[in-house]
Amino acid sequence: MTNVYTLLKITDKLTLQFGSDPTGRFFLCLVTIMWILVGIYAQKYKEHQKHNARFFTFYILTWVMLASLTMAANYLTMYLCFEFMTLLSMPLVLHNGTPESIAAAKKYLFYSIFGATLGLMGMFFVNTYGTTLAFTAGGVLDPAKIAGHETLILWVAFLSIAGFGAKAGLFPLHAWLPTAHPVAPAPASAVLSGCITKAGVLCIIRLVYQIYGVQLLRGTWVQMALIILALITVFMGSMMAFGEDLMKKRFAFSTVSQVSYVLLGVFTMNETALLGALLHAAYHSIIKDGLFLCAGTIIFWTHKEHVSEMKGLGRKMPVTFGSLAIFSLGLVGIPPFAGFLSKWYLASGSLSEGLPVLSWLAPAILLLSALLTAGYLFPICIHGFFPAEGEPEAEGKEGSALMLVPILILAAATVLIGIFASPLKDALQAAAATMF
Amino acid sequence: MNFVQNIPALSILLLMFCGIVCLVLPARWARHLADCAIALVCAASVVLWVAFLRGQEVFTYSMGEIGAPFGNELRAGMLEAAAATLFSAVTLLSILGGRAHLRADIGKKKVNLYYISVLFLLCSMLALVYTNDLFTAYVFVEINTITACGIVMSKEDGYTLAASMRYFIMSLIGSGLFLIAVSILYALTGHLLMSNIQEEVAALYASGQYRAPLQVSIALMGVGLSLKSALWPFSSWLPDAHSSASASSSAMLSGLVLKSFIFLLVKVFYRVVGVTIIPTHAILDLLLVFGILGMIMGSVNALFERDIKRMLAYSSIGQIGYIFCGIGLGTIAGVAAAMVQIAVHACTKAMLFCAAGGLMDASGGSKKFKDLEGAGRRDTYAGVAFIVGTLSMIGIPFFGGFITKLSLVTAAVEVGGWRNTLSILAIIVSTILTAIYYINVLAIIFRGAETGPTTAREKLREQWKKQMRLDTEYELAIVLFILLNLAIGLQSDRLMDVIRTGLAMFG
Repeated sequence: MTNVYTLLKITDKLTLQFGSDPTGRFFLCLVTIMWILVGIYAQKYKEHQKHNARFFTFYILTWVMLASLTMAANYLTMYLCFEFMTLLSMPLVLHNGTPESIAAAKKYLFYSIFGATLGLMGMFFVNTYGTTLAFTAGGVLDPAKIAGHETLILWVAFLSIAGFGAKAGLFPLHAWLPTAHPVAPAPASAVLSGCITKAGVLCIIRLVYQIYGVQLLRGTWVQMALIILALITVFMGSMMAFGEDLMKKRFAFSTVSQVSYVLLGVFTMNETALLGALLHAAYHSIIKDGLFLCAGTIIFWTHKEHVSEMKGLGRKMPVTFGSLAIFSLGLVGIPPFAGFLSKWYLASGSLSEGLPVLSWLAPAILLLSALLTAGYLFPICIHGFFPAEGEPEAEGKEGSALMLVPILILAAATVLIGIFASPLKDALQAAAATMF
Repeated sequence: MNFVQNIPALSILLLMFCGIVCLVLPARWARHLADCAIALVCAASVVLWVAFLRGQEVFTYSMGEIGAPFGNELRAGMLEAAAATLFSAVTLLSILGGRAHLRADIGKKKVNLYYISVLFLLCSMLALVYTNDLFTAYVFVEINTITACGIVMSKEDGYTLAASMRYFIMSLIGSGLFLIAVSILYALTGHLLMSNIQEEVAALYASGQYRAPLQVSIALMGVGLSLKSALWPFSSWLPDAHSSASASSSAMLSGLVLKSFIFLLVKVFYRVVGVTIIPTHAILDLLLVFGILGMIMGSVNALFERDIKRMLAYSSIGQIGYIFCGIGLGTIAGVAAAMVQIAVHACTKAMLFCAAGGLMDASGGSKKFKDLEGAGRRDTYAGVAFIVGTLSMIGIPFFGGFITKLSLVTAAVEVGGWRNTLSILAIIVSTILTAIYYINVLAIIFRGAETGPTTAREKLREQWKKQMRLDTEYELAIVLFILLNLAIGLQSDRLMDVIRTGLAMFG
């Protein structure tokens, strides 16, 4: 952490501190760009909904908290921003005001607060057993103090990491995602899925590498358990997405699965895997925002929410469905699109780690899940462009540059970042290296 | 003798004297006199506190210069001074915050009686804080009970009568148990002054004589006082009494009265029984378990409540559980955490009750959630107060509630075994439940005002505008409450120092 700035002080350890490091800056840039693009898109989408002043107020406030979270320099500040981000993003979920959306917002709140409370308890323990709460590569726990309490500390580490995993949709705290995303307005689901889940990832990176430390966790049951949870989530998310007809819910399950790819990389705990994780975080943000914006466009013009109703729609909305196809290819990870490189690093990182069974099981599950991803994304485009014989002509139209331009920018990014990956890769490699 | 040493006795006597004078004054003057007396006591307590910070030693004050073991003593240290400041400040703010309601709720003829009750209530709480004599403590426990019922009953409707009768009966059982315990201790030791009893108790423990009656009397005191401070299974009287009373009465009852008995309980444990003996007594485990159950059950009940004042009352039961959890850990750090919680909860809950009064005003006097929609926008001060209260209850850093949780978990970590695991789990569960029902309230009071003016809502708004003029005092009280909460959150280091020093002076 450089440029650390202390804003408020409770005690010498408990301070409100902001600073920046390469990882934080990367996430800051990522979420800010996404927020701007989705914000532009929302300027058109807002015709579809009421209470826009309220929506944009909370939209901006959520970004402020998310940006603060990326710049948090210690555990306390991170927790503070995390909690406020939850509270301020909740109105985005319940924006439509229907009973389902209110129930979904409550569910979101319950899972997030549950996770954050586990994180808070973790902080109390770190405050007792650590030298500081400031993020330090290699961890902050004091070996003299934890001697004899290793079991306890491992449990604390496991629970607090899994707690923040609620935001990232880590099994078993993933259930809010598929409930909250479909009911939120499309711009809100885009940033919830693309950016806010990444806040959970960032918190977990901070905890694993800069609070508890890789030395403490590597090779323990905690690492095993977390990797297993991530793998379960990857597989389960894909399976659920595969069987889901409601388009936004399908994408939400896909998010559950894809964010756990990132977490898998984080939990593997070596530089290659972490690089893969950061890359995948960026790619998934771009692609999933794009997918949700496409879904929003379709709903905006046709009010169709189910995949089965979209047959033949691609001919009426070629730009949207074309972008959808690009995003699908990217998410499946077909070279040269964006998703390929990250999965490559994730798999090779996992293979080089040498954990029993999991080392090879992880790449296998990644592969299987990629197949499933193809299975739940490609049919949308295929049926969109090539409806079966005798299908009635679909109603729909394309329009509004405000909606199409952000989607096209994201689609272009998916292709270009895939082909010209090295600047991003080098930057993230440097960021990953600072974590060890 | 230093002048500040007179402050404890003078505060108690001043409040009593003003209470009596209130009886013969016109209502308006009674009100002013009560305000001034409480403000004066608050200022004097601050002076005493500052004197301790500047190095004043702990002192005992013999009433009428009759020395121990026969006389009646007050004993003051850092913690007592801080508690007196807290109690008088929160009483003052509660009266200010609920003034509009007092006018509406209390008949013209009852105004004097109300202020007499308030003055005597504060007087008895300060006496419980300062006294070093068990029997005096008992007397003031009774005064406390009677005046507390008085301020509940002063709002004249059927509910408050029934509620205060229940409260009265439960309270009397509690003080009866306490009295029995005091008699047993007197019979065993021949003393009523706390310090003298402690010497005798230590001697009795060392010799092994009368072990059973000693244990019983300690247990009776614990049970009696926890009954009066609404520890969970004994808390059935609380929701009715606290929710039916006028806003400032509820604020004082929930914020302070319960705490004064807990303060006495800590005093009994650490000054009468002694820090070496009490950790071995099973009563602590009992209090811990019931505290933990209270944390959870209070929150669960609050979760299903659809009446804002009853919800706050159930929330109090949960928060009282935190205090007992801290005491039940049986370490000094645990008691310190309990003390922090006393301060935090006194400020937060009193603020929330005053704000609930504001919300009710803005909604035509209804306490039901369905009528409160949008009330937080009509009365912004109450809305902000609820936001602050919620953030504090969730445990967001820089608010008071965070400090409670921090000190409680830190205390629990240091204790080994099942106490550790159980209390931390309970804190997690209760934090989550608390967060949910408070955020639920926020969602209700901020929702719906935009949905276009209906006639009923317009009417409410008109009513509210008329009442606005009365409410500078209310606004001032809410702002000061919020500042108090933030001050605890931001200056927790100093607060913890005060509490630790105070506890060291305690025994």
